[in-house]
Amino acid sequence: MMAQASPLIDWQWIWRNMGEILDRTWQHLSLTAVSVALGLVISLGLTAVVLRWRRTYTPITWVTGLLYTIPSLALFALLVPIVGLNATNAVIALTSYTLLIIIRNMVAGINGVPEPVLEAADGMGYTRRARFWRMEIPLALPVIIAGLRIATVTTVGLVTVTAVLGLGGYGYFILRGLNTFFWTQILVGVTLSVVLATILDLAFIWLQSALSPWARSPK
Amino acid sequence: MTVWESMREFLSEPSTWSGPDSIWVRLGEHIAVSVAAVVIAGILVLPLAVWLGHIRKGSAIATAVVNIGRAVPSFGVLAIAFLIFVQIGAGIGEPWPVLVALIALAAPPMFTNTIAGIQTVEPTTLESARGMGLTEREVLTGVELPLSMPLIMEGVRIAFVQVIATATLGALVAWGGLGRFIVDGFAQQDVGELIVGAILVGMLAIAAELGLSATQRATTPRGLRVGR
Amino acid sequence: MRKAFRFRAVGAILSLALLATACGSGDGATEGEPIKVASFNFNESVIVAEIYAQGLEANGYAIERRMNLGAREVVKPALESGEIDLVPEYTGTVAGFLEVEQSADPQTTWEAARDAYSELGVTLLAFSPAQDKNAYVVTAETASEFGLENVSDLQPVAGEMIFGGPPECPARPLCLQGLEDVYGLEFSEFKALDVAGPITIAALEGGEIDVALLFSTQGIIAANGWVSLADDKGLNPAENLVPAIRTEVVEAYGDELVALLDSYSEALTTEDLTELNKRADLDQEDPAVLAGEWLAEHGFVE
Repeated sequence: MMAQASPLIDWQWIWRNMGEILDRTWQHLSLTAVSVALGLVISLGLTAVVLRWRRTYTPITWVTGLLYTIPSLALFALLVPIVGLNATNAVIALTSYTLLIIIRNMVAGINGVPEPVLEAADGMGYTRRARFWRMEIPLALPVIIAGLRIATVTTVGLVTVTAVLGLGGYGYFILRGLNTFFWTQILVGVTLSVVLATILDLAFIWLQSALSPWARSPK
Repeated sequence: MTVWESMREFLSEPSTWSGPDSIWVRLGEHIAVSVAAVVIAGILVLPLAVWLGHIRKGSAIATAVVNIGRAVPSFGVLAIAFLIFVQIGAGIGEPWPVLVALIALAAPPMFTNTIAGIQTVEPTTLESARGMGLTEREVLTGVELPLSMPLIMEGVRIAFVQVIATATLGALVAWGGLGRFIVDGFAQQDVGELIVGAILVGMLAIAAELGLSATQRATTPRGLRVGR
Repeated sequence: MRKAFRFRAVGAILSLALLATACGSGDGATEGEPIKVASFNFNESVIVAEIYAQGLEANGYAIERRMNLGAREVVKPALESGEIDLVPEYTGTVAGFLEVEQSADPQTTWEAARDAYSELGVTLLAFSPAQDKNAYVVTAETASEFGLENVSDLQPVAGEMIFGGPPECPARPLCLQGLEDVYGLEFSEFKALDVAGPITIAALEGGEIDVALLFSTQGIIAANGWVSLADDKGLNPAENLVPAIRTEVVEAYGDELVALLDSYSEALTTEDLTELNKRADLDQEDPAVLAGEWLAEHGFVE
């Protein structure tokens, strides 16, 4: 008898496992949210550094780019002896993958703020810090949010790989389905992952629009 | 055993350098599948993208495609492809599921960047070209394509680097590639093997990035090159 | 100005979310904290872990599941560090990992393992009569072609054969490493597949591998007419199922918890495991459901 895979969708399984599905939703969301938030905070700091000392941009891009090329599987595995088999491991790795994207967009966004505006701010007596928080960041917002959007959707995909750490969010279903040749689990895992990514994507599009009314253009 | 010692031990094992599980074999598998994925994805999407860009109808589709592409988890596509191929008896350890998943990963950035690239060519430039008597085909090949090369190559570069990194997941579905060292190293608690695998993938990705950046610069028409 | 305020509000919410998730991962079990039940990454382990989890839940314990965690290389450190609290283990393999005496005798093996593990803060409770050992399986065709009955029969032909098993196999004393040391077997190639799961099964069926590592309790071996080669040199020790639980948790919850887990261990038999595995592997039944049914059949839950 062949080790054949199950029929495509077992609705009973879905119904029985709603609790697990909800748990995994929360896990997927929180892993994503914490990682992107942390990435944002770190990127803000690094961007401030870059703006102050322009020459740090290249090394910073270099390091974050390097982090980006480390395959996620390897980074999770390497962190196990250091932080263990837990969410901290996942978050550290996931956060480092967001840095390149967010920083690049943040710097590009701020560089895009017109000189006259900055001069006006200086002229009005703003301190460097005040100018950063009250002028540069807000005006760079559309581009920054675009970066956050990409980082978030990318992270949602990467969270599935954390299944190898026993986490995974929806990736848990993908891995279990793979371990048992059970279509329903795989399809549920993939579909929900796509749905979550799309919802967050749309949320960011809305946010981008709402926070920068002047940037809305009839396209 | 320290990390360093573990790496040295792994690198001194004969099986690391010859045989079915050697670095050469895994490297070859990894490169072959990555190149194949990018090439096939290119064949599939570039003609369409060029045409859409040319008739100036592709913006919305381009954005949608790249968004959807990013939203679909590669791990999931891989799992689905693997089950399908097993069902049709294509054999465990074959690269087809990985190839399929990587094509799906490479297509969107190339598609979108190509459309964007073609559309950056100023309409006035095209008008002048047409005005000089160039046929539509000549406009496309002689003007639009060369001018959009930077962005097209950028799409290829992004795709290639992502594909190289993601091909490591193939080890989760009984395939080989450099991911094999990562997964096996993790399973056998052989830190040396794990790190060597990770470094090799990283180096491959960086090599691809640098190589394609150079190609990108080389294929940029002189007039467009930013002074270096 | 309003934008700055929006920023601070968002920042505050995000920090709270961060704190919330960080606080979620506490360690150290005390009364009231959920018991973290985990399993290895194969069906039987999930089934038995679910038996523990559902049985305890029915008796009012708060349980947190971390099923399908991975191989022992990953699960053992997690148990020792408190990342997880309870996992179904196998006496012989544990003894092997702790580098103490393993024998074919269940009692001796268990005692050696128990004593060694207790030094690492893990308690092995009473062991079950149910055993599950590694099985080295070939198809009926292969067995008849090469006249294979015992594992040592592989010695002359191993060099032409491909061995398939989980990625950790080459480093395991009861897998390739042991087969080499004890039986002198050197296969032409090793293919890393999964832990006695559908990938390994499909690979053996499809001829991608000649010898597969499976588990003695997998009904699919008999169902496919495959041959599980006899372990004539006694590589495999006794492998009784036993709950491995952190000593801290035992002390926090006391005798009632131990009694419950002991009752499940006592009732579990090798035949049970074989039947449950068959239903999970062949009939694709849900391990969690199977666990629930077993508990009900034996009167542990309604």
